[in-house]
Amino acid sequence: MHQLIERARDSVDQAELYWKQTHSIDVSYQNNQLQEIAENDLSSVAVRVIHEGRLGSTFAVNPDQDGLIEQAKTAASKGDQATFSFAPAADYPAVEGVNPKSAALTSVDLVDLCESTLDSIRSRRDDLALEVTAAVEEASLRVETTEGAEGSHESAETQIVISAPIKGAGIGIYKANASTSPFSTPHDLIDEFLEWYGWTEKTSTPATGRLPVIFAPESSFLYLLPLWAGLEGGAQEKRTSPLTDRLEEQILSERLSVFEDPISPEGFGARPFDDEGVPCAKRAVIENGVLRSFLLDQRTASALQKTSTGNAAKRELFGGGTETKPAPWPIRWHLEPGDQPYRDLIAGLREGLLVYYGMGFHSGNYPQGQFSIQAIGFHIQQGEVVGRLENTMISANIYEDFKNIRAVSAERGPSLGFLNVQAPYVLVDSLQVAGA
Amino acid sequence: MKEKLAGIVGSLTADYADLRFEENRKTRISYKGDQLVEVASYETSGGHVRAYADGGKAVASFSDPSRAGAMAEAVAASAALAGSRRAKPLRLADAPVVTESFPIRSEHDLRQVSFQEKLDLTTHYSEMILAADDIATAETNYDEFVSRRIFVNSEGSVVEYEIVLANILGFIVSKRGNVMQRVRFAFGGNEDFSRIRGRESDLEGRIRTAQELLDATPAKAGLFPVILDPSESGVFIHEAFGHLSEADGLQNNPAFREKLQLGAELGRPLLNVYDDPSLPDHPGSYVIDDEGVRGVRTELITEGILTGRMHSRETAAEFDEPLSGNMRAAEAHNTPVVRMSNIGIVPGTSSFDEMVASIDKGYYLVGAKGGQTSGDQFTFGAQWGYVIENGRLGTMVRDINMSGGLFATLQGISMVGSETEGSERGGCGKAGQTNRLSGKNTPPIKIDKVTIGGV
Repeated sequence: MHQLIERARDSVDQAELYWKQTHSIDVSYQNNQLQEIAENDLSSVAVRVIHEGRLGSTFAVNPDQDGLIEQAKTAASKGDQATFSFAPAADYPAVEGVNPKSAALTSVDLVDLCESTLDSIRSRRDDLALEVTAAVEEASLRVETTEGAEGSHESAETQIVISAPIKGAGIGIYKANASTSPFSTPHDLIDEFLEWYGWTEKTSTPATGRLPVIFAPESSFLYLLPLWAGLEGGAQEKRTSPLTDRLEEQILSERLSVFEDPISPEGFGARPFDDEGVPCAKRAVIENGVLRSFLLDQRTASALQKTSTGNAAKRELFGGGTETKPAPWPIRWHLEPGDQPYRDLIAGLREGLLVYYGMGFHSGNYPQGQFSIQAIGFHIQQGEVVGRLENTMISANIYEDFKNIRAVSAERGPSLGFLNVQAPYVLVDSLQVAGA
Repeated sequence: MKEKLAGIVGSLTADYADLRFEENRKTRISYKGDQLVEVASYETSGGHVRAYADGGKAVASFSDPSRAGAMAEAVAASAALAGSRRAKPLRLADAPVVTESFPIRSEHDLRQVSFQEKLDLTTHYSEMILAADDIATAETNYDEFVSRRIFVNSEGSVVEYEIVLANILGFIVSKRGNVMQRVRFAFGGNEDFSRIRGRESDLEGRIRTAQELLDATPAKAGLFPVILDPSESGVFIHEAFGHLSEADGLQNNPAFREKLQLGAELGRPLLNVYDDPSLPDHPGSYVIDDEGVRGVRTELITEGILTGRMHSRETAAEFDEPLSGNMRAAEAHNTPVVRMSNIGIVPGTSSFDEMVASIDKGYYLVGAKGGQTSGDQFTFGAQWGYVIENGRLGTMVRDINMSGGLFATLQGISMVGSETEGSERGGCGKAGQTNRLSGKNTPPIKIDKVTIGGV
């Protein structure tokens, strides 16, 4: 138990310490040349207290800084009545520890990985302004409370991103992967990157109307972030969610199942507890389209007279960090795969779209399940990709349009940015497309 | 501290090194509905070091000031490693040595205002919103950032400067039956607290809009002529064009460098665009950037022709163009990147009525709702809008997002309004950092053809 928590017992009703330390190295190649090596050595602390029934917080660089409890008490004197307690003592599940080979990676190793990746791509195609970044981040997280929670977790994660701007467009093709192990030259990622890049040579704009749309794993955030906004406890508390009071109802297609799966060894980003020190566990969120559970942290659980689902995260739509209030957020979502290869989904379409990114998501009314975005991806005609989309928008309401999903693929992959997700390709029966 | 930091960068084995150290005080007050979910006022600190050696570059961030020396040594070694793997060396444009302090002074300096007044004001605005009819919930936040920064480099620059700003900002959610709408508000944007006090009538206007939107109809998808109000034209020029004028984004993109050479014809002669950190009373104003270079006005588009762009010392050398002082870091652990200060469109001659009268079937779009850009493709939303039919404003519409390609859309700007309006909030995301200091100063514009994605 950290001494800050020990000392806090004497002066406040309850206290919580969140302390994150990271050491990371990022190597970035742009236009085939090494642009920058970045190294970070950061520490950040959040302290929350409940004092005389009121909640206050403060932040610092390390927990040994003088006066943190006093600062949080001062904030509490102006704060609102605390409606919840900090996390109690708990047994945490075992999750995969640090792979020592990842923790031992140096900037030279990452430079070598970037160069072998570049060489492999250039041996097949030497006309691209390639960008490759390789990164490793070691992190140590402690969450402790006066109520007995005492979580400590160390991780090391590696990441590689390959991209290149599309000639004549400016937007690029991105392929990325993350792992708990060191990468060697990522041949599968390179194959997929080059195939997709090959699809960008021509442009093709569909006519305005309704068309089937395949969402690649990279673009799964487009429908999963509206789903998060509908599922998070705050929206249930305020009764502003389209999902309020709809537990056990069919809300999406029976082909869609979403599991909160923070602890399995598969993928990266496993963790034994959330950002409030509540244990993480696997559970169904959406099962065959039926709403099984909401996402709750300590505060929203208390407001709804439930218990936390272990979904507290210091996250917000764009970013977040130690200074962000914990709030309900997907820790790690796994979407159930189907049994068809994604190429069969493409082959089965007379006309449709394959979307791998969408711009302008945050401008839409996503809390109500809507998005209206510029679709970045490909136009499919007669079962084949005929070119990259240009000047094409798609709009959807997930609670209407995602009731009709024709198929999900056997392959799964991560989403771009925002969320820790493993998602399949999802073929939605028809969406509004604004094109030529 | 200054001497210690200068000693560290002066002793490194590198062609160039700089170090920035920040002490930041942040104050946040946050209402979710009627719950005061956060009250916090605290200080953090941290530093960032950069080195160029043998044509390579490395950077590092650190939290613990006692690690500054060790991190600087590591960065110098990484820069040499980077240089050894680069065929074409990175260079820096020459910049004057600066040894000055640039404190911020204001008659209504927010640092002179008590915490209690800030809390009371936030509570007052929150209660105003929640008391109105048809309001389901709201978020009302007070967000204050006071940064004291020291910058030193190996050429002898030693600069002390400040960033001071606050906003009252949030959103209003209206609801009737199954229809729910969200409208944003933001007041303030710099050190002047008088921009935050007494904004009740502006807030009432936003509440009214949230209520009216419940009766609005969704916009129709398709290609339409549009008039963008100043807030929308500001987001458009920021997202669609401004980011492509930040030279670090172009530096390693050969196709775009070719397309965006100075002298390229991007718009009609009525279009004039600038970036200006010296505009008084705007959120994006500053004296010196986070690379120790003074910020200057840059004419980006002059009578439709590309005439300038925003630079770091590295990109100014790469493009052989003048320094502009646009390198900005959001916080202590962030590497500075090239960013807009206040981007503006020079006002034209068209009245709003003339602009509306020129459209048979289109939209008037109001209220920035954020945007995004990738290369020449942009997307941005409007909080609300009005149908224009036969030269007249009609019914209110909602759920509006639009997109397009930069080059065709800039050429499509056919009318520029005669009165500009400044923005009150920054909040631009790039390279994983959110720049609170990002202003806009624009008139309404008419674009002949934009893709609207309706529902």
